[in-house]
Amino acid sequence: MLALLVVSGFVVAQEKTQIIFWHAMGGTRVEHIQRMVDNFNLINPGIEVIVEYKGSYQDTLNAVQAAAIGGTVPHVFHTSQIAMQQLLDMGIIVQAEDLIEKYGIIIPWEDYIEPALSLYRVNGRQVAFPWNSSNSILYYNKTMLDAVGETMPREPTFEDILRIGHKVMDAGLAEAGITWPMHFWFFEETMAELGVDFVNNDNGRSGYATEINLLDPAAIKIMEWWKQLYDEGVWVNPGRENWAQARQNFVTQRCAMMISSTSDVNLTENAAYDGGWEVGTAFMPIPEGYERHGVYVSGGSLWVSADHPDEELKAAAEFVVYMSQVSQDIEWHQCTGYFALRKTSLQALELEGWYELHPNYRTAADQLSETKVSSATQGALIGVFPEIRTLTEDAAEAVYGGKSVVDALTEAKGKIDQALVDYKELMGG
Amino acid sequence: MESKFPNRLFPLLILLPTLLICGMFLYYPVAQSFSWSLLRSAFMGLRTLYVGTQNYVRLFTSSAYLHSLWISIVFAAGIVILGLSSSLAIALVANRKVRGARIYRTALIWPYALSPAVAGTIWLFLFNPTAGVVNFVLERTIGISPDWVTSRSLAILLVVTAAVWKNLGYNIVFFLAGLQNVPGQVIEAARIDGAGAWRCFWRITLPLLSPTAFFLLIMNIIYAFFGVFGLIDVLTKGGPAGATNILIYNLYRDAFMHNKWGMAATQSVILFIMVVGFTLLQFRTTGRKVHYGG
Repeated sequence: MLALLVVSGFVVAQEKTQIIFWHAMGGTRVEHIQRMVDNFNLINPGIEVIVEYKGSYQDTLNAVQAAAIGGTVPHVFHTSQIAMQQLLDMGIIVQAEDLIEKYGIIIPWEDYIEPALSLYRVNGRQVAFPWNSSNSILYYNKTMLDAVGETMPREPTFEDILRIGHKVMDAGLAEAGITWPMHFWFFEETMAELGVDFVNNDNGRSGYATEINLLDPAAIKIMEWWKQLYDEGVWVNPGRENWAQARQNFVTQRCAMMISSTSDVNLTENAAYDGGWEVGTAFMPIPEGYERHGVYVSGGSLWVSADHPDEELKAAAEFVVYMSQVSQDIEWHQCTGYFALRKTSLQALELEGWYELHPNYRTAADQLSETKVSSATQGALIGVFPEIRTLTEDAAEAVYGGKSVVDALTEAKGKIDQALVDYKELMGG
Repeated sequence: MESKFPNRLFPLLILLPTLLICGMFLYYPVAQSFSWSLLRSAFMGLRTLYVGTQNYVRLFTSSAYLHSLWISIVFAAGIVILGLSSSLAIALVANRKVRGARIYRTALIWPYALSPAVAGTIWLFLFNPTAGVVNFVLERTIGISPDWVTSRSLAILLVVTAAVWKNLGYNIVFFLAGLQNVPGQVIEAARIDGAGAWRCFWRITLPLLSPTAFFLLIMNIIYAFFGVFGLIDVLTKGGPAGATNILIYNLYRDAFMHNKWGMAATQSVILFIMVVGFTLLQFRTTGRKVHYGG
């Protein structure tokens, strides 16, 4: 009898609440995440998080949608901020703030940096847990710039980039001045810098967006700069959304500058160290004479799906809160270059002398902390973001092919506005 | 002799497995495509709205879709003409009785064994404007460095060439098999009658190869319309500015990137009708222009 009791007690103790977690971070990040999850499992003996890498953001979102039709959505999943509106409309998630309140979990929201929170704030409530957060910055080959007697200002202008690009090319130091993946995200970040909403209705925050602001003078100005860089051979096209090729162009010193995600700091610094040159970073370039408003936070967040028993949802909530606790936050930042999300982490990093040692990490942090909060820098909330990326990138390529900037943007705007209105109708908005 | 089944249910019973499989995997999805084509949808169909024929009207009034149709035809023509002529030429050479012929023949089939993703990546490396071998050689020899991914016509040329190269092995295998079946005596007889190599090819080999050539024509058109999708995804993603956005890639984009399943279903119905029309045409023309047997 006693033996039976002991055995059954043992079985109860062994029963764990299983949580499935899908993420979209490839490369060495798979291991970082696995390590964080293993650690969580170790300190939470009652919970077992099973982690799975599902491919790109889009692959992960598609897998989640397919799972929603099949009826078994993973408890926690990770997607890009461009899927936010879709996830809100899909009706499968439980909003972050609701989850926390329901299960009485403590999360010190006030310790999180405002731009990361505001991106995921809809109607005054947090809908997702900010996680891997980045924005775009300018990288440059300091050694190469020194050789032509140039120093990159902390806040460069379009004109600076053109001048420096031509200078290094004329000196025969690089094949092209600058490169970045043919990705409209950089355009959107520049629009935020100029303080212009990407879409109407307060960037889709006060209601479904119905119009894109591609014909705003700021948008035309940015596209004209893109065109000029291409026409003069200063910018080299690594291909559509081809991040790897852009990085390769830069780290093999074929291009003197690159615009890319802040999450590339670590990789770029290592490559430069191996190649024996120095990499510098600066804020996103904007046209001369314009005021800087800052960039919007991009990257990914963690979502919890609603349709699970209470104890699993509670475990999921504990897990997502754990993922951005200070020690994980610092480790994630140092391994990847994604932002530290917590003010406490930032102070700890400062005390540790991390930013003194790694000034390129500071550029990203400064660009973010100097951001003025507005709907433009909060980031757009759009249900058809992937389609907008396709259509706007088509427009940019048409401009490189010789089409006039205004014609290309007008055509893209027509198609996008239609897609926005269609989506609104479909959601009954 | 006419055979009779014991009762009327028995043949149905025998057909049942086939009917079930066809029903589940062919007829049901086709029927579903037709019904989906009347909907606007999001999230893989978790949300739908009936829109009647709106999808069809939008597609046929969209200059982008009509352009995609035109590009698909250009692609198919390019792949068929370049692919068939080059593989026939190579097959003729490879068919000669020389030392190591088997090794050459095996080597020629290799590209077909590569997955589209691998083949696409190889081409991307070769033709990369900054880091590619091709531009390195071009720049050193004749001093030009074309931008293969930004120029519309170069991008089309790149994808068509890659697609032809990728399918070369497949075409060569069939041409070689066809050539093995051309009777040597006929050629010998013609030679004795004084026909040259060129004449022998046009008057004997080619007519005798016509069943193979016709089969390959159909297969290459199907390949051009449906099979080069993987290469396009790796090489150009349909760009620049839609220059390589063929019908099947447009469909993929709408379905799996833009999440517009209704619109994608409409496009699959249009492709379905095109394939039906094409098959009918094949049945009609087969036998008229094509020689089967000696």
